Amino acid sequence: MSQYEVLNKDKHRQLRIKTGYSAALGDAVMYAMTYPMEFRDIQSCYPILFTKDPNTGVFFAAAVLGFEADQNLFLQDNSWDASYIPAVIRRQPFLIATGGDGDNQAPVVSLDLDHPRVSQDEGEALFDAEGGATEFLNQKIALLDQLHHGLQHSSGFIDTLLQHELLEQITFDIAFNDGSKESVQGFYSIAEERLYQLKGDVLESLNRAGYLQPVFMAVASISRMRNIIERRNRLRV
Amino acid sequence: MFFLCSGNHAAHLCDTSRNMNDRISRIIIVGGGSAGWLTAGVIAAEHCIDSQAQQPFELLLIESPDVPTIGVGEGTWPSMRSTLQRIGLSETDFIRECDASFKQGTYFRNWHTGSGDTYSHPFTVPIGYADTNLAPHWLELTDAPQFADAVTPQTALFADCLAPKQITTPEYAFLVNYAYHLDAGKFAELLRRHCTEQLGVKHIKANVSQINSAENGDIQSVTTDSAGEIAGDLFIDCTGTSSLLLGEHFKIPFQSRQATLFNDTALAAQVPYTEEDQAIQSCTHSTAQTAGWIWDIGLPTRRGTGHVYSSAHISEDEATAQLLAYIKETAGDKAAAGVVPRKIPFQPGHRREFWHRNCVAIGMSSGFIEPLEASALVMIELAAGMIAEQLPPTRDVMDIVAKRYNQKFLRHWNQIIEFLKLHYVLSARDDSPYWQDNRAATSIPERLSEQLSLWRFRSPWHQDAGAVDDLFPTASYQYILYGMGFSTAPRHTASHHQDQRQRQASELFKKNAARAAQLTKALPSNRELLNKVREFGFQKL
Repeated sequence: MSQYEVLNKDKHRQLRIKTGYSAALGDAVMYAMTYPMEFRDIQSCYPILFTKDPNTGVFFAAAVLGFEADQNLFLQDNSWDASYIPAVIRRQPFLIATGGDGDNQAPVVSLDLDHPRVSQDEGEALFDAEGGATEFLNQKIALLDQLHHGLQHSSGFIDTLLQHELLEQITFDIAFNDGSKESVQGFYSIAEERLYQLKGDVLESLNRAGYLQPVFMAVASISRMRNIIERRNRLRV
Repeated sequence: MFFLCSGNHAAHLCDTSRNMNDRISRIIIVGGGSAGWLTAGVIAAEHCIDSQAQQPFELLLIESPDVPTIGVGEGTWPSMRSTLQRIGLSETDFIRECDASFKQGTYFRNWHTGSGDTYSHPFTVPIGYADTNLAPHWLELTDAPQFADAVTPQTALFADCLAPKQITTPEYAFLVNYAYHLDAGKFAELLRRHCTEQLGVKHIKANVSQINSAENGDIQSVTTDSAGEIAGDLFIDCTGTSSLLLGEHFKIPFQSRQATLFNDTALAAQVPYTEEDQAIQSCTHSTAQTAGWIWDIGLPTRRGTGHVYSSAHISEDEATAQLLAYIKETAGDKAAAGVVPRKIPFQPGHRREFWHRNCVAIGMSSGFIEPLEASALVMIELAAGMIAEQLPPTRDVMDIVAKRYNQKFLRHWNQIIEFLKLHYVLSARDDSPYWQDNRAATSIPERLSEQLSLWRFRSPWHQDAGAVDDLFPTASYQYILYGMGFSTAPRHTASHHQDQRQRQASELFKKNAARAAQLTKALPSNRELLNKVREFGFQKL
């Protein structure tokens, strides 16, 4: 379970955050949420697909890390074997909560006290002796800020993709070298044929909103599927 | 049109609002309501009448501003999903605006013995139905679950009021087949807006005061109180029970079917939920009484109930008392205290002909019977669908389409009436003359008697279907027959395939049970899903 609290320098003065990447630290996930502003970095390592939030049905973009639940093929020997790690992973155990009512929704830094990274004695400190934020915490706050803006921009991006019917369902039926088979379902990709038929004015509006480049990044990222299939093949040999 | 008026024939061509030949260029629907607007939507969506450049014909709907819409809860068939999709409505808008909920079938209580018996008629055909008839295998089982429970996972969802899909399931798609319960008044309103704003249907608010004949006997125009005279090539009568065009004007006789289906009165009542987040039933509940039955439909905001009965078998006071007792039992004394049922008398039956000359009646103007299997809206969908698809391009060929339409819809009416009668014939209730009279041989249509004789020896399956567009598939007959304890004898000959079929059947029974367990775990409640639809909506893909 999760126990979220708004970060408080008195209450959380002694907390430490474990760093590194491993299943024990909660990183064994099949995919990580991402957003268009991050697509350029994500596509350098991972396929970008779209999927629905099981609680709301709302689409979001995801960097695919494995082929089944809890399988992250980039976790190796307590490290993350890739040149870029998705922001939603790096920000753990922190998150942005929107406090206040109505229009006055100032984002506040919160954390999940039940997250395996949260510790009393091991890892990076959040506050120094005087109660000031450490460099570590400041970096996390900057990252959360980036993530917050990225996700806000993302919802308009997704709406636009749906409006122009630029998403289509995609199913991967993969036969691995060890003879096992996996059918990966519930994912969507950019509908390339429709993309290439878009007219000038639509392309211009996409470009102005900053959506055009990430669309092509997502298209290109599908080639990374080979990368994770290879990782999966190595795993079983 | 200017060029038409030049040349020698100018006078002839210009003295009429009709086109130069007998092309159907103007269709007039008289009457709004769900019949009028659904028909308008289906025809308009099929023929892009909103296109300026290629408008094939005009579509006008004349609606009386004086007739109020009545907000009764109604049930649809799964066909409504494709109809709405065809019209171009989003399922999210439809659910939000029509106070709609999901309907997965009908749950019958007290129909068989009257002492607490229950069975279901779900919308999903038995598992493996295309290749395997499970009915004979189920009949052989000792200790078997009820027929529907054994052959479809759908009925497992009824007890916990579970939904047929998840919020991640795209609009109109499903995990198990479903239809809707909806507020018919709000539905007509949504359709009206969509038809006039999106589909190019012209809306005229006026009362029709006179119907004017052409020389050949067709309807040439209708005179209205506030919009003058309106001419047309095809008139669709959606005027409800008054049947202004087909009945009053053309005097097409009404054929009563009361000798078969006795019910002729309904008492309708809305029932509030006792708690705000009370469960919404997954199917229509139908509870048999001494001289009729009570429907119970769960909408998100309230329940719609009503008692349909035979006025020859029970007094209005007694029928009201039975309805109030039912409401008390299911919603408590407080809810029952505020209820004032609305009386709706009706004549069970239909017109002898539905399409006469250039006039076709759709909805209650063509006929009405008790809503036991919610056949009213689906008949409108079928009628509108056939007109949209077979729309005669000229007056010349209209009579051929009309003839085929009449044959088809007479067949539909007959099948509905026979299928409804099946529910009564199979009852073993002996507690009132109503149930005894319902089993009198003279009241049973000949084809139904013949079918029942045959089905004593083998269960209905694919060969029993009359036509590809039968309203009730053979699977529906299985659900009613075996839900009501009908007994079919084992085959009188052995089969070479017996062992193989037996194995297939037991595998299917197992598969069904596994699927039921899986679905009950995965599916949210109706209430939970409808709340999510309100908040997030369904995705289109």
